Amino acid sequence: MSRKMILRVPKFQEPKRMEKSEAQRLWLLLKDAIVEVQHMNASTLSFEELYRSSYSLVIAKRGDILYTGLEEVNNHHTKNLLDKIAQAVDERFLIELNSQWQQYKLQQIMIHDILMYLDRMYVKEPQLKVFDLGMFKWKQNVLIHSQINDRLVRMLLGLIHMERNGEVIDGALMKSLIQMYVDVSLKEKETYKQEFEERFLLATSHFYKSESNLFITNNSCGAYLKKVEIRLIEEEARIKQYLDESTGPKLIKACEDELIANHMQTMIEMETGCRTMIQNDRFNELKLMYRLFQRVENGLVHLKNEFAGYVRNEGHKIVNQPENLKDPNALITSLIEIRNRFEKTLSQSFANNRDFINSVNTAFESFLNENDKLSESLALFIDKKLRGGFKDSNDQEIDVIMNKVILLFRFLSDKDVFKKFYEHYLAKRLLSGRSFSEDLERTMISKFKQECGNQFTSKMEGMFTDMRLSKDALDGFKNYLQTSVEMGKLPKIDMSVRVLTQGFWPTFPPHSCTLPPLLSQYCDLFTKYYCHAHTGRRIIWQTNIGTAEVTFRLPKKTHVLALSTYQMLIMLLFNDAEKLSLKQMAAGTSISFMDIQRSVKPLYSGKYKVLKRTPAVEKSKELSENDIFELNLNLKCKLHRIKFAATSQTDSEPERQHTRQRVDEDRKIEIDAAIVRIMKSRKALIHNDLIVECTKQLSSRFVPQTSMIKKRIENLIEREYLERFPDDRRRYRYLA
Amino acid sequence: LKKNLQNVFLNKKYTDFEIKVINPNNEKDIKIFPTHRAILMERSEYFNGLFRSKMKEEQQGFVEFNDISVQTMETILEYIYTGSLHINHNNALEILVASKKFCFEPKLTTQLVDFIR
Repeated sequence: MSRKMILRVPKFQEPKRMEKSEAQRLWLLLKDAIVEVQHMNASTLSFEELYRSSYSLVIAKRGDILYTGLEEVNNHHTKNLLDKIAQAVDERFLIELNSQWQQYKLQQIMIHDILMYLDRMYVKEPQLKVFDLGMFKWKQNVLIHSQINDRLVRMLLGLIHMERNGEVIDGALMKSLIQMYVDVSLKEKETYKQEFEERFLLATSHFYKSESNLFITNNSCGAYLKKVEIRLIEEEARIKQYLDESTGPKLIKACEDELIANHMQTMIEMETGCRTMIQNDRFNELKLMYRLFQRVENGLVHLKNEFAGYVRNEGHKIVNQPENLKDPNALITSLIEIRNRFEKTLSQSFANNRDFINSVNTAFESFLNENDKLSESLALFIDKKLRGGFKDSNDQEIDVIMNKVILLFRFLSDKDVFKKFYEHYLAKRLLSGRSFSEDLERTMISKFKQECGNQFTSKMEGMFTDMRLSKDALDGFKNYLQTSVEMGKLPKIDMSVRVLTQGFWPTFPPHSCTLPPLLSQYCDLFTKYYCHAHTGRRIIWQTNIGTAEVTFRLPKKTHVLALSTYQMLIMLLFNDAEKLSLKQMAAGTSISFMDIQRSVKPLYSGKYKVLKRTPAVEKSKELSENDIFELNLNLKCKLHRIKFAATSQTDSEPERQHTRQRVDEDRKIEIDAAIVRIMKSRKALIHNDLIVECTKQLSSRFVPQTSMIKKRIENLIEREYLERFPDDRRRYRYLA
Repeated sequence: LKKNLQNVFLNKKYTDFEIKVINPNNEKDIKIFPTHRAILMERSEYFNGLFRSKMKEEQQGFVEFNDISVQTMETILEYIYTGSLHINHNNALEILVASKKFCFEPKLTTQLVDFIR
């Protein structure tokens, strides 16, 4: 643009033609001045005069004289400096070099200022700008000269080495000299990178390789981690203090590689390493380890795997410990304990890292499903809590426990098994009136609902509804009795009935028994009343889960016995007989022998014995049909009311089998439904795909066995829901 | 702000540097402009270099020009202080030359060239 302007302006703007001798004169003037500047005698020179001289030369198109002249002067000067600096002894070398360099830099700024017009109007790429030319000459003739470069780098690295070993060095001098490499670099700090940085990084790796190897063999892992952290902080400080910032990431990477990445396996495996830290809950050390491992590639994967492995191992021990297998309460309590413990580790040491949490959860999933005990144990654990185990806890504590239960529940793969057991124990709690608090029951259920949806809890909620409706029905019945004609003829007894909707409640194995005439009359009355109020309903009496209170008159004292219905029936037999064999009891009540055995046992072997076995035999002996019992008229008991357990709290093996069987039945239905659902939407599907799809759909409730699915498919083919393709036996078609 | 800065130039208070314009035909004919270093160096690379290099002018506290007219210097200084440039057909060329010497922003040069055209 300036050229264009000169062409267009009138003649008198054109500078006067300059004689060669005049140009030479101006150059010599400038040259003398530059030499003066190089000898630090600038203060007597006139800036305006020098500037005007260089300006005139450029205007007169004599910039070339100026530029080449400058190059020569710089060349000459730097060569002189080289000799001066190279002569310095080691102790003076860095200081001498630095002070020459600092002066040189100032001079170059001055020269640039004087020759500003040359820089702006004459210098064109690829020529170097005036200042860069000065830098280049320094680099060429001083810095990378064989007498300087190696010596300088060696000394710089030596000083850094000393500093790493704890000695104090002159940081400002280091900064200035290292910055010199950056300053003389023309593009992208290439001189700095080539001449200094590369060798510095190499020396760093070397230093830390040997230091870390030595340190880790002679110290604990914890001490080593601390050392590493301190080293990293020191290196960060070093970057700020005297390195170019572009070196930062490379330096840190080199340190991390040597100090962390190369020793990860050792830190995990060594005696004082990661394993021991996890075992002993050394949260701070683990936290440090996490922080450091995080810095290197795949570091956290190592740590995570180690942790998850430990969790799985601990869990495995707990679920297989013989004591725990016998005691569901202890099992669940220890599971909650380790869960708490690992959650603490996760939050205190591993920053609640999602990956870590997930792998711990996977570990829980795997050991919780190692044996099928867990579903029942969990249901029993809650049962105990809801029967009164929560009595001494406040709301907050209860909520915490419930949430832990839900957490464990979440890991169960066979949620349907758990559900059956839970329903079973819930039914028992409700029917025996042992539930500690309805509110808590409902809270627990609502938590399951949140977790698994309505379907999961609909039966449980149905049970509660039944309990409420039963109470209403019973009140109605009592009113009915008072107004009833037949009432006058019957002696009064206090009867309580619960109407259970079939389907909501676990099915209790039907047992028949003969009720005494009075009771059966009452039962008939209730049936009459209820079926009148609710037409179309049928009542089936389930006497085996009832309770009764019986007055027991002894010669001196009267007790009230709280018994199960069966026990009541047995005791009533003694109204008409002194001695009875078990066989006779069974005959008189139509109760199965097994139930007789179970009912009688608490009556003669508990703390308060209302029955005597005659002749007396060892307690432990199994009961046989012909064992004979009579009333214990010498019973001594301060209590007025004596309570007898109907059966032991935990279920017997056959009952458990029964529950399992019912689960299997339910599963068949679920699998059928899933298969039909899938086939309905897909119409045709290959066997394997169907299995996969089916397993996926059911996974929220249980993990179906492939063999079971196969059987159900066969069954559905028989029932003509599906058929095989005639030409491809592996494919099924849905038959609408 | 422009007004304030103009006052700074006209009031000549706290000045710390003098610009002397010498008539090349008569060395006794000198016009002195008292100025402020801080403003000069901020507005012109030339002055920045002049102060930074700490040569004679910086030590003495004045600079002498004999290649510029008093009127042009005044116009230039007004531009330096206020940013507004009063050009006309008589001074345009001389100002152009001066603006290049003092290394003003290239935008200004363009404006001047346009004006001359």
